[in-house]
Amino acid sequence: MARLTDLPAAMAERLAALDCPSFTTTPWVEGPPLPQRRVAVVSSAGLVVRGEPPFRGRDADYRVIPTATRPDQLLISHISINFDRTGFQEDWNVVFPLDRLRELAAAGAIGSVATTHYSFMGATDPVLMEDNARDVAGHLKKDGVDAVLLSPV
Amino acid sequence: MSALGHYLEEKGIATVAISLIRPQTENTRPPRALWVPFELGRPFGSPSDADFQRRVIVAALGMLERSTRPVTIEDFAEDDPRERSDPAWRPPLAADAARSLEDEIAALKGVYRRSVAVRGRSTVGLSGLPIAEAGRYIVAWLHGANPESPVAGMSAPLALRFAADDLKAYYLEAALAGAGRPSSRQQADWLWQTTAAGAALVALRRAHIASPDERLKLIAGNFLVPALRVPPGG
Repeated sequence: MARLTDLPAAMAERLAALDCPSFTTTPWVEGPPLPQRRVAVVSSAGLVVRGEPPFRGRDADYRVIPTATRPDQLLISHISINFDRTGFQEDWNVVFPLDRLRELAAAGAIGSVATTHYSFMGATDPVLMEDNARDVAGHLKKDGVDAVLLSPV
Repeated sequence: MSALGHYLEEKGIATVAISLIRPQTENTRPPRALWVPFELGRPFGSPSDADFQRRVIVAALGMLERSTRPVTIEDFAEDDPRERSDPAWRPPLAADAARSLEDEIAALKGVYRRSVAVRGRSTVGLSGLPIAEAGRYIVAWLHGANPESPVAGMSAPLALRFAADDLKAYYLEAALAGAGRPSSRQQADWLWQTTAAGAALVALRRAHIASPDERLKLIAGNFLVPALRVPPGG
């Protein structure tokens, strides 16, 4: 429905250049082979577990998504209505591929799936999210996570 | 998204980002990213296609095993087959210009429930309102009533935004009830071109886009009708 090139020109340009902080270096972490890795999903889709407060605007905080969350418990509260939601409505794995990660873990392609996953609001200026992202990193480390799949919308 | 990769990796956790907007990723220069040629909103591609999704994930996670130094952006080669229209798909409700929004919501109830039963889930629920009540709330706004928020802790404009989100989800999920496998465009064409709900949201946007209430103006302009579905002249 909406690739970047489908959107009105002004909106496409704004998205392409959206709040990109300038990083002088790019960090680089290596790790064991995938069959030994513990994988988490960190999404910027504004995902929220039903009953938890939805994202209301360009919030800089995050929501916790326990790995035991069922598909019928996960909602999307991203503030942009200009991306497709029908894929997520039909199949949550389009945005939050927990079933696929479980299958990969069962097949031995990855080591395991994290106990907890996280979601931010992707329209927020990333600089404002920095402290919370570092907070999430601490939680991920405590969970033994050594690989994160970053999922936008 | 790519900035989060920087922050997490700086704390010692390896990351790989899915990229839907390549220029953003090129600007932010995350450690690793897999650009996918999918529509916005579908980072793992094709719904109800586990093999396709798995190929995306394996391609992305595979980048973690390569020692190519930053910055690495790779391209996923496959298109999402579900972007193609399905000629077998039929809308859940025939167009009827005389039908009210409330009647339309009621008419879709059975098919929506069937859809939820098949998929085992619904994404309706941000407002916390039953869908008929969400519809009545939207109609009250449409009639110029500026109703109070029916949701504790939510301003009236915010309740309107989430009621509109729920209304759209209710319709688009109902569109998944049949045997066909519609593209997102087919579903959206049906919602925005033929339903009372689409017409109501467009009318509501038009009515409040110049509101002196800045919050209402913001909601009307940004949260009711997708940019691609705003008619010429608003």
